[in-house]
Amino acid sequence: IFKQFNLNIFTMILLALALGAQALTPSHHLSPADLDRLKAFLNQPFTDLESAYYSIVGLSKLGIAVSDEHAACQFLKSQLDPSNIDSLFFASEASQALSGCQIPLSNETRDLLLAAVSEDSTMSQIHRSVSTLSSLGLPVASQEVVSALTTRITKEDNVLAIILALQTASRLSQQAELGGILEEIEDLAARLDDLGGIYLQFEEGLEATAHFVTAAYALSDHVDIEPPLKEDQVVQLVNSVFSKKSWDSLSEAFSVASAAAAFSGNRFHIPVVVTSQGPAAVSHRQPMLQLQVTDILSQPLPSISVQVESAHAVASKSVVLSQAPFTLRDGIFELNFMDSQPASGYYQFAVAVTGDSRLVANHVEMKVKVSTEVAINNMDLSVVDKDQSIGTKTTRVEYPSKAKTSFTADSHQNFAMSFQLVDVNTGVELTPHQTFVRLHNQKTGQEVVFVAEPDSKNVYKFELDTAERKSEFDSISGTYALYLIVGDATLENPILWNVADVVLKFLDEEIPSVIQPKNLYVPKPEIKHLFRDPEKKPPTVVSNTFTALVLSPLLLLFILWIKLGANISNFSFTPSCILFHLGHAAMLGLMYVYWTQLNMFQTLKYLAIIGSLTFLAGNRMLAQKAVKRYRPGC
Amino acid sequence: MSSSVFSVLSKFVAEYRRSTPAKLKVVDAYLLYILLTGALQFFYCVLVGTFPFNSFLSGFISCVGAFVLGVCLRIQINPQNKSEFLSLSPERAFADFLFAHAILHLVVVNFIG
Repeated sequence: IFKQFNLNIFTMILLALALGAQALTPSHHLSPADLDRLKAFLNQPFTDLESAYYSIVGLSKLGIAVSDEHAACQFLKSQLDPSNIDSLFFASEASQALSGCQIPLSNETRDLLLAAVSEDSTMSQIHRSVSTLSSLGLPVASQEVVSALTTRITKEDNVLAIILALQTASRLSQQAELGGILEEIEDLAARLDDLGGIYLQFEEGLEATAHFVTAAYALSDHVDIEPPLKEDQVVQLVNSVFSKKSWDSLSEAFSVASAAAAFSGNRFHIPVVVTSQGPAAVSHRQPMLQLQVTDILSQPLPSISVQVESAHAVASKSVVLSQAPFTLRDGIFELNFMDSQPASGYYQFAVAVTGDSRLVANHVEMKVKVSTEVAINNMDLSVVDKDQSIGTKTTRVEYPSKAKTSFTADSHQNFAMSFQLVDVNTGVELTPHQTFVRLHNQKTGQEVVFVAEPDSKNVYKFELDTAERKSEFDSISGTYALYLIVGDATLENPILWNVADVVLKFLDEEIPSVIQPKNLYVPKPEIKHLFRDPEKKPPTVVSNTFTALVLSPLLLLFILWIKLGANISNFSFTPSCILFHLGHAAMLGLMYVYWTQLNMFQTLKYLAIIGSLTFLAGNRMLAQKAVKRYRPGC
Repeated sequence: MSSSVFSVLSKFVAEYRRSTPAKLKVVDAYLLYILLTGALQFFYCVLVGTFPFNSFLSGFISCVGAFVLGVCLRIQINPQNKSEFLSLSPERAFADFLFAHAILHLVVVNFIG
């Protein structure tokens, strides 16, 4: 068993690897709607020379011209500042894209441009001046440019600068030493970030990635050397550039348009986009599988042929079709799949596009659905006695009519149903995903749904044991309408068929209670607050006893004092003495009142008054006493 | 052993009766009273539980505080300790005693609930 298990695991891993190694295909491209949106976005009225450049050149890359070429040319001439290299660059490049537009040239302009080509200018300046010189038809000292570029690359080691260097190199003479700059393509490609195996882009963003594509292919075409990009990388770049369908700025839209032109027109890699016309589904009514095969600008590819390398059923893995060509009709590639008489279900197609050695991502896997119509045969209904297992009577019902008589089943009987589901066109038995039997009580609105299962011969059987199933019915007897529900993704005609009426009789019938809808929003029962039980106190007798007991030492005190001879015989009736004693008594009285009635603040107030009086009197009195002590006999 | 303890005790009591001034004996009687009151309160608490706890605490602390203040007074008015309390006259000691008691009573009554 373990050996078999290991073998299964092994084949599964291989299969997974094989599936994973299948070629990447573009998940994004410019559909005709996207293309129209891009063109409309680029066709904005010009605000300045730079926006005019993006609009004019961008549209020309997509193959269309600006609405009013003459006005555009006038605009360029009026906005041109001959002392500014950027201005000259935008104007000259844009004028090249317009027909019959010439930018006036002077010696100063030429000298300015030539002077900009040096190691001390920035990469952007070198790029713009070289491009301007080349589009104005002026001679460029290519070798000088190359050395300047090489120096600037080492000084400005960032992605955007190197891309500009590539672009500049593509405008130079082919005799120049462009090998060093060509190698930068590979270095740049290594700097791309791989996102999930689907996208490949620079962290600098979409514009940088799109410009890289344009520049790399421009230079590679110029020197006629294939760029070092693998097929998967090309597809990933396509995904990155065309995943964004609405653009923030003209420069972004321009970069996308340039990249699109590069992908559809270069000499080495042409990514192919294969999409099905409508859903990839065929049926007897719609037997043709229709595919559109275009480049990423949704333009048709000339002289290509499309064929199915293999088509196998997903469920059974049996190969249905092999090496079958598509026929081209009105720009759509068609194949009549129903000719191969496929059974209904899903099929995995491997489609290959050939005819041009530049094609990239030209092997596509797609899933095609074959749908059909179902027919119900041999629908037999019967009531079977449990004890004897003999059908009393079997009634055959034809779809879509209903059985004329209703069937009665009580607790001693079972209700049975059997039928077959076949494909209308081929007569093959089908096992759809959904085969339900629904019983609906018209009076109470209750419905119970069961599943009908096929046996080994693909005959569907359903049995209702009245006694066993009474809980589902809540033991409510009555007439139930019986429906058969058949459905599947590959069925064109799902079925809801009221087959018959069944009268069920249950034992212990409960009074059919109308199902109470749960009312959640009535007032709930009131929660009564339970106060904390007061602590158990000792019985009053005990506390009273102890109160007396605690007061008893006072008695003892007085007795002791009398025994000791403590007396008040020395009591002098001086005012301060009397006042002191009164005040002290008042303080003690205040304590009692505080306990019973007052709060701290009131007490403190009274205490302050009485206390100060007592203090003064007491001070006096004690002083007198002291004096008396020191002078006895006073 | 017990006989020696008993003899020590009886000697101590006799000595106390003889040599202690009357004033101090008055204070001692007062201290004894306070002690007994506090002990009885504690005994009651042990017997019936600590409800209400704040009342028990304030009563007990009142006894303890009064006892302490009484002891202070006794120390301060004892003529034998005069050397240590040169600047403190017995009257002043008594005044301090009364003042401290006023505060003690205030706190106790506040807490007794």
